[in-house]
Formats: sequence, structure tokens, C-alpha cells
Amino acid sequence: MGPKPRLTPASLRKELFATPLDGLVTVLLVTGLAVAGSRLLHWALAQADWAVIQANSTLFAVGRYPIEHQWRLWLLVALLAAAAGLSWGVLRSRPLPDRPITALWPGNDRLATGILVLLASWAPAALGLTLPIQSRWWALTGLLLLVRWLAGRFGNRLGKTATLSLPLVWPLLYLVGMVLIGGGLGLVTVGANEWGGLLLTLVEASFAILLSAPLGVLLALGRRSSLPLLRWGSIVYIEFIRGAPLITLLFLGQNILGFLLPGGMAPDRIWRAAWILTFFSAAYLAEAVRSGLAAVPRGQLEAARSLGLSLPQALAQVVLPQALQIALPATVGQFISLLQDTTLLSLIGLLDLLGTARSVMANPLFLGKSSEVYLTLAVLFWCCCAALGLGSRALERRLNPPSLGR
Amino acid sequence: MTAEPKVAKTPAMIEARGVEKWYPNGFHALRGVDLTVQRGEVVVIMGPSGSGKSTFIRTFNALEEFQKGSITVDGIALNDDLRKIDAIRREVGMVFQQFNLFPHLSVLDNLTLAPVLVRKRSKGEVLNQAMALLERVGIAEQAHKFPGQLSGGQQQRVAIARSLCMEPRILLFDEPTSSLDPEMVREVLEVMQGLAADGMTMVVVTHEVGFARQVADRVVLMADGQVVEEATPERFFDQPQHERSRQFLSQIL
Ligand SMILES: Nc1ncnc2c1ncn2[C@@H]1O[C@H](COP(=O)(O)OP(=O)(O)OP(=O)(O)O)[C@@H](O)[C@H]1O
Ligand SMILES: [Mg+2]
Repeated sequence: MGPKPRLTPASLRKELFATPLDGLVTVLLVTGLAVAGSRLLHWALAQADWAVIQANSTLFAVGRYPIEHQWRLWLLVALLAAAAGLSWGVLRSRPLPDRPITALWPGNDRLATGILVLLASWAPAALGLTLPIQSRWWALTGLLLLVRWLAGRFGNRLGKTATLSLPLVWPLLYLVGMVLIGGGLGLVTVGANEWGGLLLTLVEASFAILLSAPLGVLLALGRRSSLPLLRWGSIVYIEFIRGAPLITLLFLGQNILGFLLPGGMAPDRIWRAAWILTFFSAAYLAEAVRSGLAAVPRGQLEAARSLGLSLPQALAQVVLPQALQIALPATVGQFISLLQDTTLLSLIGLLDLLGTARSVMANPLFLGKSSEVYLTLAVLFWCCCAALGLGSRALERRLNPPSLGR
Repeated sequence: MTAEPKVAKTPAMIEARGVEKWYPNGFHALRGVDLTVQRGEVVVIMGPSGSGKSTFIRTFNALEEFQKGSITVDGIALNDDLRKIDAIRREVGMVFQQFNLFPHLSVLDNLTLAPVLVRKRSKGEVLNQAMALLERVGIAEQAHKFPGQLSGGQQQRVAIARSLCMEPRILLFDEPTSSLDPEMVREVLEVMQGLAADGMTMVVVTHEVGFARQVADRVVLMADGQVVEEATPERFFDQPQHERSRQFLSQIL
């Protein structure tokens, strides 16, 4: 990859108006985009009726989660904001392998901060949220940025082990989060059938992401194993799952898990769906990891083995770190489609984000407001996916070992 | 290490007898190869491409299996016993044509990985030794760089230092200079010459005649999976006994 070409008026002209035909295409496209954009903006600001979102904001966020326990969700969001700030700041405080630290608050981060602040100052009011909720939004944004600043400032004082174990914060937070959401350990139980909206979507997606990652790695290793049973088992599993549409697996899972597991053991519908998503995602992840494994030269394993490392040691220290780094973009792509696939849960009757939206639109009070609802949904999903993508790109750049060519 | 007493008495470092190997596709790559390498000896293996040189030395640390014959390394018989294979790999270092450094680890971490994981030595102690070894191969100032930032010659010297950090009793080299630019060949050969002078037992597959003449105690010529000729460098290069050897030498000299 060469250096980024700088955008100047001259270079723009060369790019966009190289030939008369190019010029025509540029003019048509720009006009089209401008017209469509201004129409959309006009609709969103003047014509759309956002009351449907305002009236149902809690429903979209958490479904029918009992109001007296919602403080637990706020606490969880605060923890998540702190963890996000921590990861962000520590990533920033570590130099890229071949470059010294440039700035505590580089341009990209200033932009991201600006967007967050803008969002906090405009969105809660525009959405017509109550004052307590507005102020919580502000506090959460403040917390995120504060932790980001602290971690960026002092993150480089963390030892190497502390930095390397930092990603473990997330699975740990998942466990804490599940207790906060579902209860237990002294907290009142809130059954899964009372979760809904964005909460349910994120619970399902993060469960499947966290569990399918190790499962996918094991399947990929199994597929390349020299033990025939393991190899064939993995191949059959992967190809079976990849050959079936997710929606059929979800329907199948609702029924099959019921009579495969002895009575009472079968998880309820929400967890059944989460397991199906996990098994589904693992098969695709296995293929991503397998392509990563295939890209690591044979000599790496041979060198590791000839130094006396056992096979598990060689895989863990030498082969997998390289393979996973190669597989990272494909893996995150898979996570992003997994997040979007959770919308299929609405078809098996779960009140995830889309399911909630459908139930709201079915309410005669909000008839004809589907554009507003779908646009909100699209923006919400877009934000989640953008966050995943941004995080993975930052990680990718730091994992890439430097070389002469760069 | 406890091996059967009658084997332990063998003074040779490597003792290969009648080694035969078939690749899974049925190709008969080694057809009864014998070789004895004494302690402190430097043996150079030459031969045309495809003659089985790599296959042969890779059987010494069980990177390749063989089906017939026997190999003992430092008194340990190579068979299917996995623990013995691990024990042998700890004592046998290997340097590859393609360097095979770990690109995701710094130079220093490349050196310390195996001693810490396999020999269970303390990181601090290994670090000191690693720095001393990098000093010895002349690239101490690159210790914190990554392999991708080094030239080929530097990478190969790191690879040698990485093998040495395990304190092996034998070093195997498979064409260590074949993928280097000509101006970098010498810096690697000099390091190898220094090791030989310090008494390291080495088996080297190479076509560097100058190195073989100066450093080798013996030269072995392989062709078609067999040893054709085995002689001192002077005899081998000046009065080759076999037609195959003369043919081979006429091609490389
Ligand atoms: N995995 C394999 N399966 C089948 N045949 C193989 C395999 N590896 C090597 N061979 C064959 O075995 C023979 C010996 O290969 P080897 O790599 O040992 O030769 P070499 O003497 O090291 O050659 P070179 O100088 O090219 O490195 C060659 O004919 C090669 O084609
Ligand atoms: Mg070879």
C-alpha cells in the first residue's frame, strides 16, 4: 500500500473530471446525491413524526424490563462506557510497533469525541427524552471520555501482562452484565422473556460472538487435524451449517433442542436462539480462521517444533497469533453480519429490536409511521456495526508487525 | 537423560544406519542412507536438487518420519516415542533456508520464546544470554526490531542465535545461504565458521565450496536418495572417486 494520496482541488479535478464522460458521471452523481440527501433531510426534520420513537423509546431500548430494576441496566451501561474508554485509551497510549506515540488526542480521536459530544447535546433533547434520562446520557458520555483520557494518559505505565490481559475485561464484563440483567447473586431475577429491544439484540449478539470465537478456532484446528475422526467431524459440521439458511436453523433449533435435551434441561426460547446463533456463527468463523491458518507458512510450525515447542505450544504461541491476525477482518465481518442476523429472531416471535419495532407498528396509534421506525433501526444498527469496525481496524493496525516495506 | 546403556556408550553424536523413507505418495526419497557424525565434527552434505538432502537432515529432529533403518542422536534412539522426540528436539537446533523467524515477535522475543517455554528458564536470565548471542552474531543493536525490518543476512543470523539460545548440542543447517543476496552470504558463513571453531557439532547442507573446504571435516555427496561419496574436503574436491561426484562438481565449480 503506497502513501495516501492527498486530496487537493487539482487532484480532485484529475480524479473526477479526467474525461468528458467522467465529468458527466460526476455531475449526474453529485446532483442525484444532493437531491436525495436534501429530500431525506427535509423529510426527517419537517415531515416525519418522531412521536412514535419518543413514546416507545424505553420499549425500543429494553422491552418490558421491569422499571424498578432498570437501574441495573444503567449501571451496566456505565460499566460498558468505562470499559470502552479504557480500551480506547490504552490502545492509544501504546505506540504502533514501528511508530512512536504521536499525540494523546490525535485527529481521529478528536473527531470521534466531537461526534459523541454532539450526540449527547443534541440527541436526548431531539428524541424528547425526560430530563433524568438526558442527564444520564450526559454523565455516561462524560464518564467514557474521562476514562479515555485517564487511560490514554497513564496507559503506558501498565505492564505488558496487564495490557495483554486487558481484552479479558470484555468477557468478564459479559458475566457481570448477565448477572445485572438476569439477576442472581442476591439480585432479583428478571426472566429472559421480559428482555426486549436493543437489550435483547445485544445480549443475543454478544453471547454468540463470545462463544463462537473459541468454538470457531477449535473447529478450524479440527478441520486441519491429522486425526480423521476430528477432521471429518469438523468438515461435516461446518458444511452442514453453512449449507442451511439461518432462519431454518432457528426454527429447527426451537423444536430440536427441546427434545434432544432431557426435560427441563432445554433452555428457554431466548437461550435456544442464542445457542443456534452461536453454532451458526462458529461454522463461518471456522472458515475465516482456516484461511488464516492456511496463510501461515509451514516453516513457522516446523521452526517452532524444531525449537522443542510442543504442538499446543507451537499453535498457541506461533501459528494462531499469526493466523488470527490474518483472519481478523473476515472475523469482524462475520460478527457484523451476526449482529444483523439477530433481526431474524423477530421471525421466531422474539421481541428483539426488529420484533419490538413490528409490535409497535402494529399498534393502531402509530399506523403509517414505519419509515420513522425503520430509519431509527437502521441508524442504531449502523452505530453498533461502525463501533465494531472501528475497534477492529485500530486493533489490526497495532497487531501488524512492522516490516521493511512500510 | 536415561537411555538404554548399550546405546549411551556410542560416542557418535548422530548415527544413522540404513535409513529409508517413502513419502505418502509412494516416492522413495531415502534409499538406505548411512552417516556417522562425531562430537565436534562439521559435516557438509552436497548433492543435486531432489537428491534427498533436506529430507535426510530433517529426519534427525523428526521433522520427517522414516520407515526403515535406525537413527540415534546423542545416544537417544529416534522412534515413535513422543517424549524422546521432544528430548531430541531440545538438543538439536535447526536453521532453515527461509529463516522462519516468527514475524509477530521482536528479535529478542524470537530468541527467548523457546528457552522460557521449553527449558522453563527465567526470563531475565534468558534475556541476558539472548543479548550476548545477538552480540556474538553482530546484531545486538537490532534486538528490539521485528524480523520484517531486517535484511536477509541479518534475519539468518538472528535465526542462528535463536537456535543457539536453546543451547543445542548439534546444529543442522539446510541451505542457510541459498536465499540470500550474494553480499550477505559472507556475514552468515562467518558466523557459522565461528561456531565450528568453538567446537559445535554441525551438519550443513550447502553448495558453498569455500566454506566446505575451509570448515568441513567431511563432505558427503548424496544423489537419488543415497550417499555416493564421503571424503575429506581435499579429497572430495580435488580427487573425486565417483563419476556422479565428478559430474556434480563440474556443474557447481
Ligand atoms: N512432501 C513430499 N511428498 C512427496 N515427495 C516429496 C515431498 N517432499 C520432497 N519430496 C521429493 O523427495 C525428493 C527429495 O527432496 P528433498 O527436498 O529432500 O531434496 P533436496 O536434496 O533437499 O533438494 P534441494 O536441493 O532442491 O533442496 C525430491 O524428489 C522431492 O520431489
Ligand atoms: Mg533441500
